[in-house]
Amino acid sequence: MQHDEEATARTLLIQLARLGDLVQSLPVIASLAARYPHRSLDLLCPAPLADLARLFPGVRQVLLWNGAQWHAWAESFVGEFQPSWLREVEQYLAGLTTEPYKMAYVLNHHPRAILAGTLLATEVQGPHLRGPLDEELSPWASYLRHVAHTRGSNRIHLADTFCGLCGVTPPPAPPVLIPPSCNLPNDLAEVGISAGQWVAVAVGAGDADRSIPVAVWIEWISTLLAHEAPCAVVLVGTERDQTTALAIQDGLSPMIAGRLWDATGRTTLSQLATLLKRCHWAVGADTGPLHLATAVGTSSMGFYFSRARVHETGPYGQGHWVWQADRALPEIWPIRPSVALLLDPAIASQQEPVAGWSLWQSHHDEWGAIFRPVGDSDPQEDQRAAVWYRLSEQRLSLQGVQ
Amino acid sequence: MNSFEANVSRLAQSDPALASALRQSRGGTLEVIPARTGMPSARANGRWIHSAYDPIKEAQAWAESQSQQDGETIVVLGVGLLYHVEALCARLPRTAPVVLVVPDLSVLADAAAARTWGDWMDRVAWAWGTTEAISEQIADAGHPLRLVPYAPAAALHEDSHRAMETALQRQIAAQAGGQLRIAVVGPIYGGSLPITGFVVRALESLGHHVRWLDHSVHATSYHQLELLKNSQHRLALQSKYAEMLSRITMAQLAEDPPDLVLSLAQAPLVLPALEHLRRKRFMTAMWFVENFRHLTYWQQLAAGYDFWFVIQQEPCLAALKQAGAKEVRYLPMAADPSVHRPLELTQTEREEYGSDVSFVGAGYANRRAIFPRLLGHDWRFKLWGNEWDGATDLTSVLQRNGARIDTDTCLKVFNGSAVNLNLHSWAGTGLDPEGDFVNPRTFELAACGAFQLADRRSLMPDLFSASEVATVSSSDELPGEIARWLREPEQRLAMAAQARQRVLAEHTYAHRMRNLLSQVGVASPDRIGPILRGDRQAEALAVAAADSFPSLASTLRTFPPTQRVELKQLAAQIRSRGPIGSLSREDLMVLMLDEYRSETKDLV
Repeated sequence: MQHDEEATARTLLIQLARLGDLVQSLPVIASLAARYPHRSLDLLCPAPLADLARLFPGVRQVLLWNGAQWHAWAESFVGEFQPSWLREVEQYLAGLTTEPYKMAYVLNHHPRAILAGTLLATEVQGPHLRGPLDEELSPWASYLRHVAHTRGSNRIHLADTFCGLCGVTPPPAPPVLIPPSCNLPNDLAEVGISAGQWVAVAVGAGDADRSIPVAVWIEWISTLLAHEAPCAVVLVGTERDQTTALAIQDGLSPMIAGRLWDATGRTTLSQLATLLKRCHWAVGADTGPLHLATAVGTSSMGFYFSRARVHETGPYGQGHWVWQADRALPEIWPIRPSVALLLDPAIASQQEPVAGWSLWQSHHDEWGAIFRPVGDSDPQEDQRAAVWYRLSEQRLSLQGVQ
Repeated sequence: MNSFEANVSRLAQSDPALASALRQSRGGTLEVIPARTGMPSARANGRWIHSAYDPIKEAQAWAESQSQQDGETIVVLGVGLLYHVEALCARLPRTAPVVLVVPDLSVLADAAAARTWGDWMDRVAWAWGTTEAISEQIADAGHPLRLVPYAPAAALHEDSHRAMETALQRQIAAQAGGQLRIAVVGPIYGGSLPITGFVVRALESLGHHVRWLDHSVHATSYHQLELLKNSQHRLALQSKYAEMLSRITMAQLAEDPPDLVLSLAQAPLVLPALEHLRRKRFMTAMWFVENFRHLTYWQQLAAGYDFWFVIQQEPCLAALKQAGAKEVRYLPMAADPSVHRPLELTQTEREEYGSDVSFVGAGYANRRAIFPRLLGHDWRFKLWGNEWDGATDLTSVLQRNGARIDTDTCLKVFNGSAVNLNLHSWAGTGLDPEGDFVNPRTFELAACGAFQLADRRSLMPDLFSASEVATVSSSDELPGEIARWLREPEQRLAMAAQARQRVLAEHTYAHRMRNLLSQVGVASPDRIGPILRGDRQAEALAVAAADSFPSLASTLRTFPPTQRVELKQLAAQIRSRGPIGSLSREDLMVLMLDEYRSETKDLV
């Protein structure tokens, strides 16, 4: 009887980070659904991302984490804490679930996510071995911390470490998100319909230091649109990116009129997914829209610099490209080579090396995503299998399984 | 049965004494006139108390604009024909207690005769009688209190309401056991700098946790800017510098948000910073220890502070309100008895600092004009202080070549002089004809037990009697009064002793700060008031949590009972149990809230 309850338990996946991390949670959702087909899996995510999360296959219900409300409570409690005010918090939590979940899978190594898991479920699996005040890390969380310090040899993708944190292996194939057939603003309705290559350019990034400079985008788009092959560009991003998008358009020649669309700040996340699906390519830094494009099956090309590392957060799937800078702030950018690659991926192996950059292509196998260098062999040995075996053994040992 | 009988009979069921008193009252204060809608309206002293068109609609609109929080007692000031009380009762939850202050039974008698009251009257508690009786009835109604004035009717009894409010403040001050966290923002330099120090010490002596955001450390840089010859550059850079100091203040406040930000005059907080603080729910107060006629920057800041405390009464209070200040209160200067105290001078010190007549202060125009008339008499006159350049006729009495005098020297002069002159500064040639406020020197001299001869100030009689501080009404009287007092050493000593006792009893900075905080507490029933009453102390919180959140109550009981406990302390206590400690649902909620709290307030 207990076995049946285990098999059909209500479980909750907690992902409280930003868009990119939410999209990169798709593999763990697919793996959990495959491993526990009779369990229901709900997803707790930031309220502004819920619109997109509801499209995720394998998720029964999306719970909204209202960070703004928590901030407001915390702010109002400062200097005037009254126990009775906790009733409002209690009501909010009861609104999320009246019965605790059997299990919460916590993907973020952040106290809020861990506390949320402990509040909403009787058992928590995630970065900490025990309760929220226990700082002893689980094997996978320890591995991630080690990688954060040493980096170099790691080849395990963040999306796959999410699987490890939850005790499942990566899915056999990259999951695909099917966007809804939602209405787009009138002027964007024609995106992807006429002939030629449609390229979505994700102009911003979550952090300023990960943003590609406007001048680089102007040159990149000018180079692309100057090519004989018919191409069109769609600028995508949030409302915050609108200033950047306008600056890019100001810097472009008037001759490109009619070949560039500005969708920044004008779409919901569902609409953005639809828009990206209609494009043939998405180009950008390590940013949420780039990962969303990857998830809907659009080919992606990333420029990774600053703290972004291809092996950790490259576009998840098969056949995507990443230009990895060897320094935080690149002095030159692989503009012509990247445009050429986009127009004809077959020439990848003939590309001349670009100083300060290396080119990587994504693959997928039984250990999840792996990026391999174009032209040369990977200087690092692929240790993924060994890492998975070692960490799985440690995990089982901690669970008392012989 | 007429309206009066119906109302009073019903009132007799809940308050027979009031009903009986009403029957004895003649009424006649209000002139009851039908409004356009046919309902009775009223006038007093030629002014409408309710709308001449539709008193019910007007009262409803007024009631809609009033705020109220759970657990508060609403205290209505202003009687009129009670339309506003009826509207307020209709809008408030049935459980919200409503107290109506009735300073004059005659008005209530008029109201009872004008129309028949409805069921709402049964939920009103009527506070009437003497000021003390009214404030006791209000205090008995339960805390926290929210005072809600209906201005047209309240204006009839402003003095009574003020007295009642003062009595309430006294009660709050007497009950105050709670510890506030107060950030005191001082000036870069100037006369309000030492006062900031006295204020900080006084607040600490009252048991509050005080942080002095001391900008005097920036004085050297600021004075460097004054050396710039190009006035445009100088003003622009001084303005930028003030903005920078404002930002520094904000950053300091963000690191450890206080319950109250108390600025002293010349504190470098600009209006946009104050507005930002308000958006972030910081409570701010300014003690403007300056003559509002001379320093007029208050006009730009008036709307920025939640509370203004000033050392002048009308027209200062009205001027600040006109400029946008919401709450303006009179708070006179004071002394710090731990600094301003009687000293035993050595013989050498007596020779250096002592004299028959002395004055310590800067060379303002009126002093330059008056003091030469004190030369050539048979007394020894010494003049101390700076800014006497060009006063060549006073060179013979000016001490230390007009150097700035520090506090220690000042105290020795006060204690060593038979007659300390205390002429308030003025730009004219005689005594300030509009002289109202009483300067710090008055209180400091008195606290030292030193005899002083001051110029007459309109606010002096409320602070010191004629048997405590001697005064002159014109500069012409000065030589004669000096001679008189020099002849009467025993009376001088007696007056000085009485003045010192008066300061110790009523005019220390501790008195002022207790008064200031109780006024803020009464006006802020949901924030400062509860802290002052000790409602945020561990034991009080534990009692409040006991029924619904027993685990939280148990954590709260691990603190000393009178310790102020906030979210931060509570979370730290929970975390201190270590990794294996069990956590209740309440513990987890507190930890989660604290995670969000710990993000620095977006102030800078």
